[in-house]
Amino acid sequence: MTGFPNREVLLRWAPLIVLLILMLFFTALEPRFFSVRNFARIAISAAPALMVAVGVTFIILMGSIDLSMEGAVSVCAVSFAFVFLWLGGSLGGWGWLALPLTLVAGAVLGLVNGLVHVRLRIPSFMASLALGFVGTGLAMLMTGGDRIRIEDPAFRALLTTRWLDFPVMIYVAGLFLLLGWFIQSRTTLGRNLYAVGGGEDLAHGSGLNVARVRIMGFMLAGVFYAVGALMAVARIGIAETATGNGFMFTSITAVVVGGTALWGGTGGVWNTLVGVLIVSVIGNGMVVIGLPGYLQDGILGLLVIIAVVLSTDRRSVSIVK
Amino acid sequence: MSFIKDYIARETLNRRNFLFASAAGLGGVAAGGLFGPGMARAALTDPTIAWGYRNRTNPYWNEIVSGGESFVQSLGLPRDALTHLINEGSSEKSLSDVKALLAKTGGNLALAIDANDAPNCRPVVEAVAEAGAYVATIWNKTDDLHPWDFGDNYVSHMSWSDVKPAEDTARILLDAMGGKGGVVHLGGIASNSPAIQRRQGLENALKDYPDVELLAAEPADWDTQKANQVMSAFLTRFGDEITGVHCANDTIAYGVLEALRAEGIEDMPIVSYDGNPQAVQLVAEKKILATVFTNPYWGGGISAALAYYAATGAFKPSEEPNEHREFYGPTILVTPEDALEFKATYLDSAPDYDWTDYWGPSNGPIRY
Repeated sequence: MTGFPNREVLLRWAPLIVLLILMLFFTALEPRFFSVRNFARIAISAAPALMVAVGVTFIILMGSIDLSMEGAVSVCAVSFAFVFLWLGGSLGGWGWLALPLTLVAGAVLGLVNGLVHVRLRIPSFMASLALGFVGTGLAMLMTGGDRIRIEDPAFRALLTTRWLDFPVMIYVAGLFLLLGWFIQSRTTLGRNLYAVGGGEDLAHGSGLNVARVRIMGFMLAGVFYAVGALMAVARIGIAETATGNGFMFTSITAVVVGGTALWGGTGGVWNTLVGVLIVSVIGNGMVVIGLPGYLQDGILGLLVIIAVVLSTDRRSVSIVK
Repeated sequence: MSFIKDYIARETLNRRNFLFASAAGLGGVAAGGLFGPGMARAALTDPTIAWGYRNRTNPYWNEIVSGGESFVQSLGLPRDALTHLINEGSSEKSLSDVKALLAKTGGNLALAIDANDAPNCRPVVEAVAEAGAYVATIWNKTDDLHPWDFGDNYVSHMSWSDVKPAEDTARILLDAMGGKGGVVHLGGIASNSPAIQRRQGLENALKDYPDVELLAAEPADWDTQKANQVMSAFLTRFGDEITGVHCANDTIAYGVLEALRAEGIEDMPIVSYDGNPQAVQLVAEKKILATVFTNPYWGGGISAALAYYAATGAFKPSEEPNEHREFYGPTILVTPEDALEFKATYLDSAPDYDWTDYWGPSNGPIRY
């Protein structure tokens, strides 16, 4: 803490400052970027990714990693579609039961993930990556490669009905974000996640059942993946194996850009919110300012590196691996 | 002096015959040398039948492979007798899987494949020919690679020219826009040849509509969710200037429709491509104004059939004319007027194709 006295404060707010700079940058190049309608569009594209990213935040807080989200989202989306249609295909009837059942499905997937990681002692990186592929394959098996349309107006109201210019799904995402914040800061599980991430030996030595915390963490993440899957289906009205595509990059990037350390112990869901918004603003802004398509992937990668450089505290770690 | 004339005439004839004979002889020797190992086992018995493609998640490839499975079943084999080589968009994996399968089967293989990108087609074909197996390719191939340069082992190549059909859908779109306003194009993966051709079709049609401006063209990577986000961003960038949307395929159109629905826009003219069942339904409902059906089911089945029947010796590719070895697949324009009839004929139940009618529905020789 030498030199700049406010360094710590600055670091805490760095991700938000990066987000504001990006917004100013895109607005300067194309004023239409800065409009309520465009913010609603960014929010729609960010909402499913935010739920998935909040889920993986809990895992990264523990110092583990979860790469199963694409498979998990696909399985949850397809399971939801099957159960929803089987129960009549309307939220007005028994179809609403499909919503909690999907969350249960997500929790079960997370449980399997956690058990494989903890009981079989496979690094979370490998266990979750492998199970992600299993999930994609399972979704493929269930659909046979077909896409399932969900046309129920009540369910699609998540997208089509707006309060104060923003679709209902944005408020639902906000509620789940608050729930995530509550779990993180006001429950024993939340604090245990930080304890495991901050120093597993210490947590273990203090009598914490680390294995149990890990499995609970993966289950919790699974539930949030399921919420993300529901929002992804609400957004495009289609459940398919490809529903999970792209969530891995977006969510992991968002968590890191938001300032949650990959080595665990610091950060949280608010960082993740800012991170998801940074990634979504970059994605939207590049098209809005008319950047040629062939440059967009490259620029996205560069901006992500710059955002990580600006928004994470790397001085406190001696080894980066 | 006539005897001199006769002598010269006789000698000329002999000389010509000698040249013919030696040319044939040398050629025969050369051909024998080139195709020796292959010729020795011109007909295979019970070859493994395989399809190499991207993945089954994509409805287009799912249709292709379903056709392949239908062909396998027509031989009295179970559906899973078809070997799947899934490359997930990697040319390296595509090639190494082919080599592994050639090694495993000892060359007793009938392969249908899309090599993922054009340059990868040559090493795939060379590996197959060297092992004495048989291959039929679709879509990706460089212009200098031809089946007839490989004797019988490179059976055929089928492709689809998308420029003209994409131009036809573009005209339907531009007419629906009243010949004025702004159009946006959401394309496939930028380097894919169908993506390039479909955009070219739009640009060709635009030449006849000077009052329509091409506002922007962005790749949406054949992906519904990416298309959804790109379309939202287009709405920010151009707002009401957009009066029509040209989509490179149906999965993109689904994402566009939902981006518009989120904004309460229900009557935007949209055209797409591929003729997936759900897109055809949307055409019938006039949510999409046109799509193009390329009959991937038939394409997938007939490619496997060509490779198989060439391998078993049912026909000899080298005796077929060039237009039977490089040809275009079928294209059918689907519009709201004929969508339901089309759906009943082609989609509700897959037609019972005769997989020995190799070239029936095809669409003429490939032109470069």
